[in-house]
Amino acid sequence: MSDSNDVKIISKSDFDTFVNNLIKNAYFEVIGVKEKQERYVFDLLESADELCLDHDVTILPPKKYFLPQTEILMSYDLTKSFNVKENLEVKPRIIIGMHPYDVIALEQMDKVYLDSQKDDFYKKRREKTIIIASDIQNVSDRSFAASMNTNTTDKGFDLLLTYIEDKYTITIGSQKGKKLLEKYAKVKDAKEADIKKIEAVRKKTLKKYKKKVKIPKEEWSSFLVAKYDSGVWEERSDRCMECSSCTMVCPTCYCYDVKDEVSLNLKKGDRTRTWDGCLLHDFTKVSSGEVFRQDIKDRYRHRFFRKGNYLSERYGFIACVGCGRCGIACLPDIADPSDVINSLSHHKRLDDTGKFFIKQETEVAETNIIHIPRKATIKRIEKLTDAEKLFKIELDDKKPLGGKPGQFVEVSIFGIGEAPFGLASPPSDSPTFEIAVRKVGNVTSKLHEMSVGDKIGIRGPLGNGFDVKAMEGKNLLLTSGGIGMYPMRSLINYILDKKNRKKFKEIIILYGAKRPKEILFLNEVEEWKKCDDTTCKLTVDRCEQGECWSGDIGLITTLFPKIRVDKLDSKNTIAVVIGPPIMYKFVIKALQTMGIPDENILVSLERRMKCGVGKCGHCQINGVYVCKEGPVFNYKEIRNLPEAFE
Amino acid sequence: MKQKPRVAVFDFASCEGCQLQIANLEEEILELIEIVDIVSFREVMKEHNDNYDIALVEGSIMRPMDEERLRDIRSKAKILVALGACATIGGVNKIRNQWMHDEVVRTVYGDAPVYGNELFDVSKTKAVNEIVPVDYYIHGCPINRDEFKHVITSLALGKKPEIPRYPVCVECKKNENICQFELGNFCLGPITRAGCKAICPTHNSPCEGCRGLIKKAETKCVWEVLQRYNLSYEDIRRRCTMYNYGKEECNVDE
Repeated sequence: MSDSNDVKIISKSDFDTFVNNLIKNAYFEVIGVKEKQERYVFDLLESADELCLDHDVTILPPKKYFLPQTEILMSYDLTKSFNVKENLEVKPRIIIGMHPYDVIALEQMDKVYLDSQKDDFYKKRREKTIIIASDIQNVSDRSFAASMNTNTTDKGFDLLLTYIEDKYTITIGSQKGKKLLEKYAKVKDAKEADIKKIEAVRKKTLKKYKKKVKIPKEEWSSFLVAKYDSGVWEERSDRCMECSSCTMVCPTCYCYDVKDEVSLNLKKGDRTRTWDGCLLHDFTKVSSGEVFRQDIKDRYRHRFFRKGNYLSERYGFIACVGCGRCGIACLPDIADPSDVINSLSHHKRLDDTGKFFIKQETEVAETNIIHIPRKATIKRIEKLTDAEKLFKIELDDKKPLGGKPGQFVEVSIFGIGEAPFGLASPPSDSPTFEIAVRKVGNVTSKLHEMSVGDKIGIRGPLGNGFDVKAMEGKNLLLTSGGIGMYPMRSLINYILDKKNRKKFKEIIILYGAKRPKEILFLNEVEEWKKCDDTTCKLTVDRCEQGECWSGDIGLITTLFPKIRVDKLDSKNTIAVVIGPPIMYKFVIKALQTMGIPDENILVSLERRMKCGVGKCGHCQINGVYVCKEGPVFNYKEIRNLPEAFE
Repeated sequence: MKQKPRVAVFDFASCEGCQLQIANLEEEILELIEIVDIVSFREVMKEHNDNYDIALVEGSIMRPMDEERLRDIRSKAKILVALGACATIGGVNKIRNQWMHDEVVRTVYGDAPVYGNELFDVSKTKAVNEIVPVDYYIHGCPINRDEFKHVITSLALGKKPEIPRYPVCVECKKNENICQFELGNFCLGPITRAGCKAICPTHNSPCEGCRGLIKKAETKCVWEVLQRYNLSYEDIRRRCTMYNYGKEECNVDE
């Protein structure tokens, strides 16, 4: 509780003068709660008369002032080879009337957007905004903030207003707030009696809550884990419109999509960021067309797990503040978390299945996210198959890319977009690296049309690569299928490099392609075969008439019996598996049969890695961000993630 | 410099309002002709040329002679784009599919001597994709100019246009509108394809479904909403008549 020095008192009319003083000052943009038909919104204030502080809840949370519905991240000039500018102009703002639950939601968003990889747009807006919060007077029918302990707050604001009988108390929460009052408002010190009234007002409001949650929020995370396979998800999601209105109005949903839009004459363009929602069908869609949470039940459950388990295990807060907005917005009325938690509690308690949804985050150095990619030049293009090409790329600043095998980069083509590509070359001291590209989507198709000398943008290296140090002194069994060979090549060429080869023991490379003409890097495969203590086996799924192939035919798993297992000390072997989703299940089973322990199996997974920094939400597998904790995972760490190998 | 794609605009049964939306680009037309050669566009120019890469087809298909003309256009175009609701889903022209054709002709033309005249030889109204394959769709009644620009610039850049397959609610929520249902109106936004920036609900008018349905009216979730707001399947069927008459399936993967 604040002491009396921090609490001021202001009459209603002096408060209006204070607000009007702020509005008159052109330095600020003053935002406040206003009426819109019979609801409320945060909007630009033109006069103190417009301001409502007895609102129950606004349609959208004030999130829109920190992560706008749509914003331009950068603008580029397409008449030049690489000309791009970040758009970071932010006007100082004052937001009046934020309820405590919205203040708490914003503090949560700070943890995500200002974590070790800070979003510079968010950061700048946050720094330039003064928050004048307001204690709740009227409670929305759908709000359960009292159950979430978000109905009041003593931090997170610059100033906090409490309405006490035609006066306001103003609790000072920061130096910024204090200075604002000194400069623009006529206030007196609050008396002991006034401060007592604040508590009385809050107590009175507390009685107005109609909705309650039966499970205390501290228990949500473990409670949800035990209910992962509950029938409630299907029963409720059966009625879902898949409109994602629930996430759009949520103060703690902050997933986004990034798009490129160009002017009609194709001379200029913007890269924009816009709100996205995990309930939408295409949220997880990758360029090859695969959707990873196809079933609405899974998308529906994902939203609640994200709120109650995934974010809470990662950041330590329940990402629901009980504002009730989703309950109001959802037409079939299935989105309200209090209803979901309560109906889960009615159902028979399932045994704790021992599933884990989070991988311990590895230490990441503090950085600002750089949205603008580094300028790079295509140095060489080599055709691999009819649909695949290998690109050698050089960073124009001539600094080496660095990184580990298994990491990825985001490749930008302005006007088209950005897409992730696993590194196909081992790390080196030169500023060049390679990526292999199969023509499947917009960015890949455009890359295939490009020529040597063309400019592209690069962000990265991103993600978690192979821990090559931990592989030293071990036998390595490297299995790849299809384009899983792209990142595997990076690892193989690192290991077989003369400088490194002695650090590893026996090496077995197994590689399966669909058809002979789809085999990648055949010349290199022949070279690998010649290396000491290296076995390399190749197979194709099928061979059409007229295709020339004298090697093995059959799925990748048919190669396993051909390995001399007796020679291989399975406990001292590390197996790496990279391939299409279907391959993992069978290959991992074969490896387990050979006696290779789960912790010695490494996999690399593909998901929609859009932002590459664990913010946009598209690549999530349960609580794990593939772009951050992956794409390389230790099988033991993710074998219990239900969404990893569905 | 690579040759500019040659674009031709064609119209069938329609009010030509979608062509007008293109004409209404006004000075931006100058930007448009920097990236494409418009070789045929009856509403704004008198020249015509049958050598084109991209055909923008407006209107619904009503008569055998229309089908023939459409097939001819398809055979000449590398890319065919359906322009506006009449072309993409049949739109308002499909309203008349609920009556017998004779009845429709008699109601409109009375005793006028139209029988035997091929200009009046109307059969069931069809959307363009019921006759020929359509490569891309520019939805709406009328089309949204920004979406038109998105599709044209995407084609010029060689990328696949991104047309939303999620409902209007997404854009409506971003605009911070009060839900039409909350205001006591019956809105088709929850089952209609977005991309219009929720223009109707934003101007306080419920969605009529002009961009096509992305969810069947006969699904459990829709039933749930109808019940909650005291509406019936009959209500929604009637409501869908305006733009989506007889549309049982919705092609979300267009």
